[in-house]
Amino acid sequence: MKQTETDTAVLDQRLAAWDRKELLNGCQAVAQGVRLADVDVISAYPIRPYTEVMDALSKLIADGKLDAEYIIADSEHSQFEIVKHASSVGARAFAGSSGTGWMYGFEALVVTATDRLPPLFLVGNRALDDPGAFGVEHNDAMALRDMGWLLCWATTAQEALEHVLIGYRVAEDSRVRMPMALAMDGAFLTHSQHMVQVPTEEAVARFLPRYDLGPRRLHPDNPISIAPQVNEDWVMELRRQNWEAARRAKGVIVQAYQEFNEIFGERYATPFFSEFMTDDAETVLIGVGAVAMPARTAVRRLREQGRKVGYIGLRWFRPFPTEELRECLSRFRAVGVLDRNFAHGSPDCGGIVLHDVRSCLYPLASRPAVVNFIGGLGGRDISIADCTRMLEITGKAAERAGDEETVTWIGLRE
Amino acid sequence: MIKRVEVNYRGIFQKSLGKYLGSDIVMIASRMGKVAFSNGRYSDSPERNGIPCKYFAFVAEDLSEEELEAECGAKLDIDEADVSVVVDDTMVKGVEPWGWHGVRPINEKVHEKGCLLVITRHQPEDLLKFIAKKPYPYRLATLEGDASLAGMWVFKDDLTRERVLGAIAAVDPGIISIEAVEAYLLDKTKDARRAGAAREAYEATLRRVRLVKPGEGINWSHPVPVLPKWHEFEDTGIAVPAVPRGFKLGPRGQGRNDRFKRGTTKTHRPVIRFDLCIECTLCWLECPDGCFDPTEDGLYDVNYEVCVGCHKCAEVCPEPECIVMVDELRFENDRSPWEHWVRDPQGYIRWAEEKKGKERVHFPVVTGTGREVREGTYVPPKLSGAETPA
Repeated sequence: MKQTETDTAVLDQRLAAWDRKELLNGCQAVAQGVRLADVDVISAYPIRPYTEVMDALSKLIADGKLDAEYIIADSEHSQFEIVKHASSVGARAFAGSSGTGWMYGFEALVVTATDRLPPLFLVGNRALDDPGAFGVEHNDAMALRDMGWLLCWATTAQEALEHVLIGYRVAEDSRVRMPMALAMDGAFLTHSQHMVQVPTEEAVARFLPRYDLGPRRLHPDNPISIAPQVNEDWVMELRRQNWEAARRAKGVIVQAYQEFNEIFGERYATPFFSEFMTDDAETVLIGVGAVAMPARTAVRRLREQGRKVGYIGLRWFRPFPTEELRECLSRFRAVGVLDRNFAHGSPDCGGIVLHDVRSCLYPLASRPAVVNFIGGLGGRDISIADCTRMLEITGKAAERAGDEETVTWIGLRE
Repeated sequence: MIKRVEVNYRGIFQKSLGKYLGSDIVMIASRMGKVAFSNGRYSDSPERNGIPCKYFAFVAEDLSEEELEAECGAKLDIDEADVSVVVDDTMVKGVEPWGWHGVRPINEKVHEKGCLLVITRHQPEDLLKFIAKKPYPYRLATLEGDASLAGMWVFKDDLTRERVLGAIAAVDPGIISIEAVEAYLLDKTKDARRAGAAREAYEATLRRVRLVKPGEGINWSHPVPVLPKWHEFEDTGIAVPAVPRGFKLGPRGQGRNDRFKRGTTKTHRPVIRFDLCIECTLCWLECPDGCFDPTEDGLYDVNYEVCVGCHKCAEVCPEPECIVMVDELRFENDRSPWEHWVRDPQGYIRWAEEKKGKERVHFPVVTGTGREVREGTYVPPKLSGAETPA
């Protein structure tokens, strides 16, 4: 195709959207995203691995690179309440946590969604104690799945930075107004250092409009009372509105990625999940988070041997991309769902992602075989060899669909 | 091919130093057109003062960034190291990382062509008195220096960071070259002194690489804990059996749990002149780890297996030269000093003074001043009755 003058202008503009490359770990990349989003209020309370985000933000403020109120809370509960209230007065607000700290603040998280306020939270995924454990496990963020939140995972430090911007853009949209949780694997992503491209403030300003709550803004000039007590005659309608907002959010997400690509270059082929070598694939693995690195490498190596395998990285878990994923997965013979979480006592005692994936496939007349892997709990590593094994087990499930074990634990001492 | 560097450092005190070295290697290797990335062993990360920890840097020439990360970034530890850097030489006695790993040899990961690079003022032969044997030859390089606090927020910049980069270039130019190290430091700091420090360390290290023969070193006495399978332990969560209540007078007389020893945490240990003790109880009261055992003669023995070398006893002791912190590498075992003293008071005092040597290490409260070394004084023995030497 002949390149037109307009194309060149667009390309130049996209090149200008990027400022510099910096060596950043996942936490520092998120802090850069928060700086670029020009956040007004940050509330902090330490818990690893999130702690390094608050450290990086306080340093940005101390260095004069970010102008924001930085409030140290006395606990996660206060921390989340602070950003909820800041958000209600029209401040773009940021907080974050991990593991049990995240759970401790849950009451505040729940009301932020029902108040339809859009602060952004970083969840540095961490196993839930006891015993005290630091490694990644997704149950902490997954606990939000029924609470009216937007929930999305970053795969790389670069994606983490970009999803702070995309996250605010979606959450604050007047058609959405839902709180946003951006999750990131503890250790493997939060604490490893990568070269990250940092966009310019000008480009970000083109992508991310000012936060405007309109008539819902709590202000002396606009006195309102938020969240009064209601009786039995109100709650169902409020829940239905919440559903509607989540439904609208899907369209807003699609639009946000489109515009992101226009400004910053074609970075995301699909918004809700990424597909890797799936074109003529028969067997795919679907996973969440940083496990994409070994999984994609395993796929690439199996492809070199002529095996028709692929990997799908599920980015958005709430709202769940039901139709999109159903259409995508219907192309394959077998799907292996990798859960870095465990749904205690659930059907087949599998993982949380398994249940949503299987449920979304149910209406199909002809469904792929679905098997589940529980792996990497509490930070146990998932290697390239583990991913190869999972793809092999999944491939076999297609051949003898129906009588296979649904759930296999990977990396367990047994 | 992937080159792997591990930096063994002491938690908190050398945390930034470890991380900076990781980032520097990535930046320098990237400038050389290689692919590189860096992370830390995450379970080390909830660091406590002095706990042995690791930071890693990975460098490859023929891999994509994603392949390198898939190989190295998705793992918690490495199987083998091309260079194992040790920025506090007392860690050659073995490292007991956070968790259930047991005390591991410092050279555990060094492979046959690899190099153990130790920042130390000791001779390689002295270090090998503590280092485990390996079935194959490897290299041991030493770079003269102290356990640096450079990089700590109260840091004193002693150019350790630059010198270690120069030394790494000397022992494995396949990771980073000295020219690239110098160019990077010049560009980054505009300070020729820093590039010069790297070059100087590079040249010094080239002259101080020693081949360690197979079987040279010691038999490793610490067992490696075997982690049980999921059905092999009681399904009531993790519970560690407690020790019986109560205590008796004398060495090891207080109940301590063998599962929670942290002896590999120390860079210095307290040496006690029992003859100077005025029985004020402060060391016993103030020790954060309860390492002092009251004895029947009113003194306080110290249990070096649990002492983390925090310096507090030496700070609170009101008697000059009664408790002095001494380089951990001067000691071969953790036996009770009080038993030695009771058996042979004069011999013990001679032994203690010999271990103490002339220098006394202090860490001043004022930030930015680093460590301070003063001259010690010799206090003649105070022995009662017939024990008084002529």
